[in-house]
Amino acid sequence: MDISSLNLTQVGPGTEVRVSRLECAPTTCQRLREMGFCENALVTKIRGGADLVCWVCGTRVALSARLAKQILVEHVDGRS
Amino acid sequence: MNQDPTKRWVAVIGNPNAGKSTLFNALTGLRQRVGNYPGVTVEKRTGTAYTLHGEAIELIDLPGLYSLSPRSPDEKIAWQVLRGEAPSVPRPDAVLCVVDASNLERNLFLVTQVMELGLPVLVALNMVDMAEARGVRLRPEELSQKLGVPFIPTQAHRGKGLVELRAALGQSRTHPGPRQWTMPPPLAAAVGQIAAAWREWLPAEAHAEGKALELLAGSNSGPEGAKKLARAWRERFSKEAYDWSAAVIHARYEYVRNLLGEAGVMGNKRVASWTDWIDAAVLHPVAGWGVLAVMMLSLFVSIFSIASYPMDWIDAGFTWAGQSLETQMPAGVLRDLLVNGVLAGVGGVVIFLPQILILFFFLGILEDSGYLARAAFLLDRVMHRVGLSGKSFIPLLSSYACAIPGIMATRTVEDPKDRLTTILIAPLMSCSARIPVYTTLTAAAVPVALVPVWGKALGMLGLYALGTGSAFLLAWLFRKKMLGGGSPPLILELPPYRRPALRTVALRMWERAVIFLRRAGTVILALSILLWFLSSFPVRSDDSTETLAGSYAGQLGRWIEPIIRPLGFDWRIGIGLVASLAAREVFVSTMSIVYHVGGEQEGLVAAMQSATWPDGAMIYTPLTCLSLLVFYVYALQCLSTVAVAKRETGGWGWPAFMMLYMTGLAYGAAWLVQIVGRALGFS
Repeated sequence: MDISSLNLTQVGPGTEVRVSRLECAPTTCQRLREMGFCENALVTKIRGGADLVCWVCGTRVALSARLAKQILVEHVDGRS
Repeated sequence: MNQDPTKRWVAVIGNPNAGKSTLFNALTGLRQRVGNYPGVTVEKRTGTAYTLHGEAIELIDLPGLYSLSPRSPDEKIAWQVLRGEAPSVPRPDAVLCVVDASNLERNLFLVTQVMELGLPVLVALNMVDMAEARGVRLRPEELSQKLGVPFIPTQAHRGKGLVELRAALGQSRTHPGPRQWTMPPPLAAAVGQIAAAWREWLPAEAHAEGKALELLAGSNSGPEGAKKLARAWRERFSKEAYDWSAAVIHARYEYVRNLLGEAGVMGNKRVASWTDWIDAAVLHPVAGWGVLAVMMLSLFVSIFSIASYPMDWIDAGFTWAGQSLETQMPAGVLRDLLVNGVLAGVGGVVIFLPQILILFFFLGILEDSGYLARAAFLLDRVMHRVGLSGKSFIPLLSSYACAIPGIMATRTVEDPKDRLTTILIAPLMSCSARIPVYTTLTAAAVPVALVPVWGKALGMLGLYALGTGSAFLLAWLFRKKMLGGGSPPLILELPPYRRPALRTVALRMWERAVIFLRRAGTVILALSILLWFLSSFPVRSDDSTETLAGSYAGQLGRWIEPIIRPLGFDWRIGIGLVASLAAREVFVSTMSIVYHVGGEQEGLVAAMQSATWPDGAMIYTPLTCLSLLVFYVYALQCLSTVAVAKRETGGWGWPAFMMLYMTGLAYGAAWLVQIVGRALGFS
């Protein structure tokens, strides 16, 4: 899979990833960045499912799956 | 405005779940005032705290925020307070930032924004015990030195660090130094030019860069030259597809990360905790719903089982007062007014205070423990189907207590259409004012002795489910079909589970009790006296039933009887319906006055069960009671809700729509119950 097309819904629970790009509406992007989902930020997915839970900046944040699809990520070790 | 110009005002700000309200409560205790900011429904909470030298300081508890980019109404009001633009609040003299010590990266992001406001800043490094338990090594002295503002370690829930904080509040008069984070080059050029234009207008402005960033973000306050420059830079950035706001966020986070590293703050790696264990059950797609159902059922069972004891005591108190008055006072108009007007009206409502307090206790515990956010997460999928996000769940759940705080809680919903839909359906969630009506009518429909506690709880749950289910259906209709557009995605912080701060919960219950009793002592007392007058005059005979039939209220009831007759309601119920237009719970007190039964509930239920039509048939048959219950599930009988909805939506249009659709729904559903019930052979 192409690294740039990997999104947060496609990684398994317990995986730590790095945010590579946000592809949502500008106001949503700003809210995500303010809550710690900046480009290059490290995020650990805790739970998957229709809505998912991530660990970012020391807190658990719940995201809807359709938003998580707009958060493009890459594996920390660089593998795709 | 500030009555005492020598008194200092300090704004308390912080991320949601940073323990801001617990710290505010610990500093102010019962010296709090709760109100609204004029023109908006955002709750304004102020309180007096004292420094170690006894100086009184007014604290303003601002809504929880992640950043100072004003989007939702509560963020806007916080922004206005900090800039000194909020009505009825003077510009603060200093800001107390409450930060969660276990989550410094994101919390300090907000602090860097606050530091650019040109106000003295003080940081309460809260929940240090939890941070240290998670392995975070905190260095408050180093942080103070690096950031240039005092950091005071606190544990608000245990009252630790408050002495040091009070001492620091007495000294918090030093302004933070200049900006320390590095702006990326294109942005630095823009901010430099705009800030220079600002300084030409106001050379003494020490925080011109902060003002320049506000102008870039679209603020309209400032000198014309600076505004023009900001517009030009915005257009240029837009053409070059340069996301300057993302650049600012990146730069701030970068600075905070470096700062934490340089200050030697270590740790904050995720380690599996008991929060994860609880979440495994609570957020489970199947078990999670079971947990939610158990929580809700426990709430309703508590409302009936635990509350029954204090309710019996209140009932006995009012009965004793009524009997004492009847034996001590000579018969006459004054005695009748006191016993059948004041005691019947006020007693009929005050008796439900324990149930309302239990509801607020449960909501407080659920919120404080961190469960409420999980429930919102769980319900997001359901809410999404009707066009809303899980964020609408918390205002809707608050509406079970009262639609007014529920509508106020919609301030956290960012999408305007979502917010409007949530406001429109919030009054359908059965509020605590309906409890008196539900309890009385359920008791009138089925003999109390025949129904066990869990049966009553299930019956009550059914009425709540009817309101809630209808609210979701209507949300779908309003949001998807009427207002249109997609629903916003869910972004919601799930705080770690914590032991609820009982002091905070108790303070909220105290506030609600005061509000409820004040209402009983003013609005309900006045309406009770008015109703007593309307139902007692003109006096035409010694027989109370005949007097009522010929009274002004009786005439009104008879006038509307043809309209409500298809629902199975007689003119006496009609009096109750009209009287309770102002507030639902007034129905019970009105019925107590109409049936001349004093303030006790048992007497009212007995009087209702023996009430008959002229042909001798029972009025309060199970079918009529059900019809009346359904009417009250849907009807918007609350003027305060209408007033809040008017303020919140900025006009009379939506509240008028709310009143019309809910009244129409109430009438139609009650009529349907009668039709279906009779077709099935009930009478």
